[in-house]
Amino acid sequence: MDAKLKETILNPIFKGNPITVLVLGICSSLAVTVTLKGALVMALSVIVVTGISSLILSLLRNTIPGRVRIIVQLVVVAMMVILVDQILKSFEATYAIDKQLSVYIGLIITNCIVMGRIEAFALGNKPWPSFLDGVANGAGYGLILLIVAFFRELLGSGTLFGFDILNRFGYVPNNLVILPPFALILLGCIVWVQRSIQKDLQEK
Amino acid sequence: MNTNNNVYTVIYTTVIVVIVAALLAFVSQSLKSKQDANEKAETISQMLKAAQYGTKAELDRLGNAAKLDKYAEEIERAFVIDLEGKELRELAVDRNEIQVYGPKELKRQNYNIKGGAGKTGEPELPVFVFKNGRTVVPIYGAGLWGPIWGYMSFEKDLKTIGGAYFDHESETAGLGAKIKDDPSFQAEFVGETANFSETNVFDIVKGGAPKEADGKSVVDNQVDAITGATMTSQGLDAAIDTWLAAYAKYFLSNQKACGKGCCGGKEEPKTEED
Repeated sequence: MDAKLKETILNPIFKGNPITVLVLGICSSLAVTVTLKGALVMALSVIVVTGISSLILSLLRNTIPGRVRIIVQLVVVAMMVILVDQILKSFEATYAIDKQLSVYIGLIITNCIVMGRIEAFALGNKPWPSFLDGVANGAGYGLILLIVAFFRELLGSGTLFGFDILNRFGYVPNNLVILPPFALILLGCIVWVQRSIQKDLQEK
Repeated sequence: MNTNNNVYTVIYTTVIVVIVAALLAFVSQSLKSKQDANEKAETISQMLKAAQYGTKAELDRLGNAAKLDKYAEEIERAFVIDLEGKELRELAVDRNEIQVYGPKELKRQNYNIKGGAGKTGEPELPVFVFKNGRTVVPIYGAGLWGPIWGYMSFEKDLKTIGGAYFDHESETAGLGAKIKDDPSFQAEFVGETANFSETNVFDIVKGGAPKEADGKSVVDNQVDAITGATMTSQGLDAAIDTWLAAYAKYFLSNQKACGKGCCGGKEEPKTEED
């Protein structure tokens, strides 16, 4: 694998993370991080949507009329989101999670990461790198989601993936952690940690 | 190729939209049976929750097959009545052909109850009598962003609320969504009574219903509204009033016919006192 492709995959995970660096997709990361299970399903859904939409639009990139390109992008992204939603609704194992995530699966359509990567990358690059870029950005988003959800479920419910971890030691779940503002605080802490490691992100 | 001329743009967008629409229609049709099965199991677990066969979390752990088993085991009988309280027909309760009324069917009946545009026929109101003596009836109405619905159970006296479960399509998370997510809101209904002889059957009160020392509301048919979710609370209040008023004749006549301590046509020794 050449260096450029490697960069395409690794950059969105850490150095150019869509949530902590580009600050895209914040709203859903506050809303769906109460449980790890929900965050995982959301992360996988976003990975599928960003990956495949980028692939399709990169394949179409030379045929799309310039004036309606945003509309064409939206149609493809919306199609992927509806497909993901329909599939989640069809399986017994994911039905309850789909219900719990409710509107947020549908709102992937408006997730800035998806449209942002299509505009910035997929429309100007070949299909394979575009697909990897989409998947990697979805993964970067998912990674932050899982980190936030890990702390929120552990401290807010005393469990991880629904399994009892802290409660058996007499831990009293902290309700503040369940509420969205705490996700914002956690997110702030993650940005803080990242910026102290990666000095070039700090503003002068 | 000039991708910017008008004819090309129009043809291009048309083709894309037609392809996408065809694909989505195909996927939606082929997954429909699976989704319906999931929805049915969900409706059953909501009714079981309303009839107090466990918390929603406990029932959700069961899985689809076990939910159907439990329903088939615990249901006494299910039937459909009209606005006069007259029984129209039985609903199947056999494990493999269970008939329940999920949100889609309730939406149709909601139009029928309210009349006006969208009415497709006379209202057919389902009644589910469980073996623990509780009678479950559905409610349906409009929340702030979309439909809300739910199931309420009544004790053998057909007056006292035994349990409730509410669900919604797209109420605001953390506010209106609490009608579903907040077990303490649903718990408030338990022990309250519905006033079937009035048009205002039940009240969800903004600013808090007056409370006695034990936390029960002073007025028997009131619970607290949800803070920050006024519209959803009002919608739920209206949904409950509309639907319970539609059931009123059935409930009132069966309260009288039976007296205290018995239910839905089942013979039990009548007692004068509690």
